[in-house]
Amino acid sequence: MAKLITLRDVYKIYGEGLESEVRALDGVSLDIERGEFVAVVGQSGSGKSTMMNVLGCLDIPTRGEYLLDGTDVQELTDKELSLIRNKQIGFIFQQYNLIQSLTVLENVELPLIYQGINADDRYDMAMEALERVGLAGRVKHRPTEMSGGQQQRVAIARAIATKPPIIMADEPTGALDSRTGQEVLKFLQQLNREGSTVILITHDNGIAATARRIVRLQDGKIVEDREQEVDWL
Amino acid sequence: MNLQQAVKMAWKSIWGKKGRSALTILGIFIGIAAVMTIVSVMEGMKLKTMEQFEAMGSNRITVSIYSWMYDEDGNDISKDYFPNLYDYCNGLKEYVLGVTPTGWCNATVSYGTKSTANMQYQWDEMGNITGDVPPSLYYGSDQYAACNNLTIVKGRDLAPLDIEKYNQVCVMGAQAAKTFFGSADPVGKELMVNGNKFLVAGVYASRLKDESADQSRLDNFIVFPYTARRILGGEKPTEFLVKARSSEAMTEAISRLSGFLKGLVDQNTGGYNVYSESQWQEQSNEYLTMIGLVLGGIAAISLAVGGIGIMNIMLVTVTERTREIGIRRAIGAQRSSIVAQFLIEAAMLCGIGGIIGILFGTAGSVILSNLLMQMTIFPPVKVTVGAFALSVALGIIFGSYPAVKASKLQPVEALRAE
Repeated sequence: MAKLITLRDVYKIYGEGLESEVRALDGVSLDIERGEFVAVVGQSGSGKSTMMNVLGCLDIPTRGEYLLDGTDVQELTDKELSLIRNKQIGFIFQQYNLIQSLTVLENVELPLIYQGINADDRYDMAMEALERVGLAGRVKHRPTEMSGGQQQRVAIARAIATKPPIIMADEPTGALDSRTGQEVLKFLQQLNREGSTVILITHDNGIAATARRIVRLQDGKIVEDREQEVDWL
Repeated sequence: MNLQQAVKMAWKSIWGKKGRSALTILGIFIGIAAVMTIVSVMEGMKLKTMEQFEAMGSNRITVSIYSWMYDEDGNDISKDYFPNLYDYCNGLKEYVLGVTPTGWCNATVSYGTKSTANMQYQWDEMGNITGDVPPSLYYGSDQYAACNNLTIVKGRDLAPLDIEKYNQVCVMGAQAAKTFFGSADPVGKELMVNGNKFLVAGVYASRLKDESADQSRLDNFIVFPYTARRILGGEKPTEFLVKARSSEAMTEAISRLSGFLKGLVDQNTGGYNVYSESQWQEQSNEYLTMIGLVLGGIAAISLAVGGIGIMNIMLVTVTERTREIGIRRAIGAQRSSIVAQFLIEAAMLCGIGGIIGILFGTAGSVILSNLLMQMTIFPPVKVTVGAFALSVALGIIFGSYPAVKASKLQPVEALRAE
């Protein structure tokens, strides 16, 4: 069986050929198997956000090959990429990225709406996800009426509502205090134990310690890729 | 994403920004209301002129003969051509039903205390006339009735002898009879016309069926033998009406009349024209259509301005919601879903504007038709449906650029927006 994710010599270059050329990803190769928990660690400007955008099919590499579940992402149309983001990947962002004009429930239902799931099933799936993050009692609230930790839990519910095989978390604890941050990380570990492949992007080595595998980026290159003892929370 | 969801989302967004939405809608609703009002009032005017032409009958030919012969003192010494025309037309009975001058006179008519000199009238708030309207005073031949689709209900019509003998008689239209005599029988009564006694010989039936203000105007007249001009004064007749038997006969009558007049009228001191009245009708329709186009064009400009307003506000909305678009794209919205979302929002804004515009346009055409024509015109169904379709179409047309722009945003860049 093919690896879940394979990067072969991937470059992401901004302003290529110019003097101001930036190599956000500079020949990266990486394999990720199903069920792994990988932390991509690096300083600001190391290219880890670009890595996440490429892995998350939000951005297309300048050069190189990205096989997702054996499919060459570069060959896909915008519509097919949208479908992959919708069904295969659940995103968790540092700034939660909830839509402020929608209620908690509507936010969680949104990816299911784009899947075309009917109203009843959608409600059930969204409520199931919200129960998992312990927010089933606050579904009619707006995101602005909630604390940062709660908002991030809504975002997690949205990410897992479609039961995607891959969870991508970009600095998910960045805007949270350490205790709520710990809860989020614990939740990611739990998702991983249940079979999800989790990719965690962070600049913080302490947070990276919750992952089985660490991939360290520096100036767009992988400088370290090792397995470690996990800090189970 | 299904339509119901999209509509719900669009409604949320419109409702979330009430003030801005209301202002945007304003532009569309003014335009739609203007278009509705103009179109339905113009339709009403066309209908009304058609009705009038129909009431007077079809197959009418207008003949005008003019000359500029004056003596040394400046008096008009041109010939009265009517006797020639009358004789000629009576020899053309195969094609012609009747011929009459269409002149009118300006005299004071009175009976007892009723006098055209002191008649007063006004319109009430429903647009109906109250009070007495002075009748029009026409000169006619004994064939006036045949030419104008009139029939006698009481007494007798004008006779050739009345013309010949300068008899002081007249025939009244239904409304004029009502004005002077109420429900009493006018036949045999004498009207005072500029101090001269004129016997009422007969009364014509009213030509329009419904009791509208127009009926009173169309049937509010008194016809005198045109030879009464000798007593009552007025211009020498230069306009004549010839009624043909049928539309086929009309073509023949027009060509024969033209030939006859060519021989009769001295082209050095005058001239003549022969028109079919359907030409007038067509022309008046053309004028109305043209006025309608000009006014409609102005309304269309206001609609276009409203549409640009929609485009502008949708562009602002797209910019404001760049991050939201990024989020939606990240969690799997396809470009088509984003396009649909903003298109539906624009179409809904315009649709709401359209509905309000239709309400105001209906009110506008009712009010305006009452003011201008003393009748109530509701916009035809096709105009109402058309106005709604137009407003939605405006939303789609002017919303498409912002919607496509929104869908072209790169997810990564959109997510970075603040």
